[in-house]
Amino acid sequence: MSNDVAVEARAACKVYGQGAGAVTALGGVSLVIRKGEFFTLLGPSGCGKTTLLKLIAGFESPSSGQILLDGQDITFDPPNTRPVNTVFQSYALFPHLTVAENIGFGLKMLGRPKAEVAETVTRMLALVRLEKMADRKPVQLSGGQQQRVALARALAPAPKVLLLDEPLSALDLKLRKEMQIELKRLQVETGITFIFVTHDQEEALTMSDRIGVMQAGHLLQVGDPRTIYTRPANRFVASFIGESNFLTGTLSGSDLTLDAGPRMPVERADNAPVSGHVTAAIRPEQIRISSDAGSGIAAKVLDTVYFGTDTHCVLALSDGTEITVRLQSPVSGDVGLQTGSQVTLTFEPGALIVLPEVA
Amino acid sequence: MADRSFSISRLPGFATIAVIVFVLLYLPIAMLVIFSFNAGDSVAIWEGFSLRWYPEAWQNEAVKAATLRSLQVATAASLIATGVATMAALGTTRRRATRGQSFVYVMINQPLMVPEIVTGVALLIFFSSIKVITGYQGLGYLILAHAAFCTPFAYLPIRARLEGMDLALETAAADLYASPWQTFRHVTLPLVMPGAVAGLMLAFVTSLDDVVITEFVKSAGQDTLPTYMLAQIRRSVSADINAISTLLLLLTVVLLTAFFLLTRKRT
Repeated sequence: MSNDVAVEARAACKVYGQGAGAVTALGGVSLVIRKGEFFTLLGPSGCGKTTLLKLIAGFESPSSGQILLDGQDITFDPPNTRPVNTVFQSYALFPHLTVAENIGFGLKMLGRPKAEVAETVTRMLALVRLEKMADRKPVQLSGGQQQRVALARALAPAPKVLLLDEPLSALDLKLRKEMQIELKRLQVETGITFIFVTHDQEEALTMSDRIGVMQAGHLLQVGDPRTIYTRPANRFVASFIGESNFLTGTLSGSDLTLDAGPRMPVERADNAPVSGHVTAAIRPEQIRISSDAGSGIAAKVLDTVYFGTDTHCVLALSDGTEITVRLQSPVSGDVGLQTGSQVTLTFEPGALIVLPEVA
Repeated sequence: MADRSFSISRLPGFATIAVIVFVLLYLPIAMLVIFSFNAGDSVAIWEGFSLRWYPEAWQNEAVKAATLRSLQVATAASLIATGVATMAALGTTRRRATRGQSFVYVMINQPLMVPEIVTGVALLIFFSSIKVITGYQGLGYLILAHAAFCTPFAYLPIRARLEGMDLALETAAADLYASPWQTFRHVTLPLVMPGAVAGLMLAFVTSLDDVVITEFVKSAGQDTLPTYMLAQIRRSVSADINAISTLLLLLTVVLLTAFFLLTRKRT
């Protein structure tokens, strides 16, 4: 094994309950997370991302499979022996301890000398900009401040891996944006491997080095944000990350004859079918609308919705398929599309991708 | 403009009824306290202020013995009850709720529901067979009986304290390198402590003034203060009972005030 691997899951499987009532939370996930990367596990609730996090933290043991940290098998090690710390969704700050005592808790349990604990606590307070709050109790802090204490507490023992379980979900939008930047800064400054769990695709795209998309206990795709967005591995990934329009048609070679009529050049994702009746995806911002009847897909304007910077245009193809196109709102006036008018849709080659269904 | 939302305090007669109820509740107790300072022998005719009944009550060897016995039983029983109740509360709150949880609550609180007289008779029969077999006649029976009916009183404040506390706290401690013992010592115990102290006081007060179960369980010569007072009053109403009652009331008020201060919600 190469030594730039921080965490590895080998066919990790987790089944809760037994017999007919058994629920498979994780169906054999294999994953390699590199040292020093900001890795995000992204998926809807119940997809198994938190279960995978618990297996890495040691709060749960897998039903089968292995978890490796730095090449060591830690599958059945108790959590208190793993050099891995967690930022909990509820923060789980100790209510009877001060901010400084909370941050120093891990080092104190490790039996580090008092001077070292005090020094690290001071450094951590500075890192999360809470120097003045050292003697407060958690209840005296705002949500954002509690969040930063939870981060400092988990970072203080300098873990090999920091696990973050939807830590921003309890914050309001503005604070969440600030904390996203803060988290990214902390990760770069400390150089610690972050494994971040979220169901928020925007959070995943903006912060991560790589993203693992999960659904129903399986890992569907692993890749950097750009790849995940522009080359989704299947239909689920395409619809969960960003918005996608889905067009059906018959594939032959590199051409797709749409059910709505015209024949268009397409790209194929890995594992996509090579022929037959298929589904292809295209992002709303990659479609152009022109009012002249030229080569392209004929469509009828159903509605335009103003979103501020963008205007969404909903159109119907000749077979009834609804398509959303995202246009930049002009400086003045509207986008100039009358409801009911006939238009032609065009796009760059490579924007339309044939996708496999979810395995 | 005036707040038009519903308030029970604006219903007609609210103040009158409230005053009557409070008078009915506290007047007899006030009378008892006042007559404990009566100079005369009577418990009904005021003959001037005096503190004579307090030292007089304490001169009485039987009162002294009963008081000490009451304190012994209450201390031992409330400690046992608090230990049991703490474990029960940890078991019922520091994990995810399971099926049968409410059944466990009912089982723990069963002594609150079963009529005291039934518990008293049951314990009398149960303990008498043990007495025959072992020959042991000591205070142990009383202590055990009191511990049993005090457990729910200790359990309720402890459970109230722990309920709603983040279940992830112990997990977080384990994540931060605390062994199971360290987790208990540095997280669970400090969190449960105010509840346990409150439970201890409530159990102590409950044990201290029990009459019914004690009456059934005690062996000869094992009078606690309340059963001694009951026996005295059956013979003649003597004024030193007022003094003892007042002291008992004072102790209860002090402990319940401390209990209230410990369990009130911090703002």
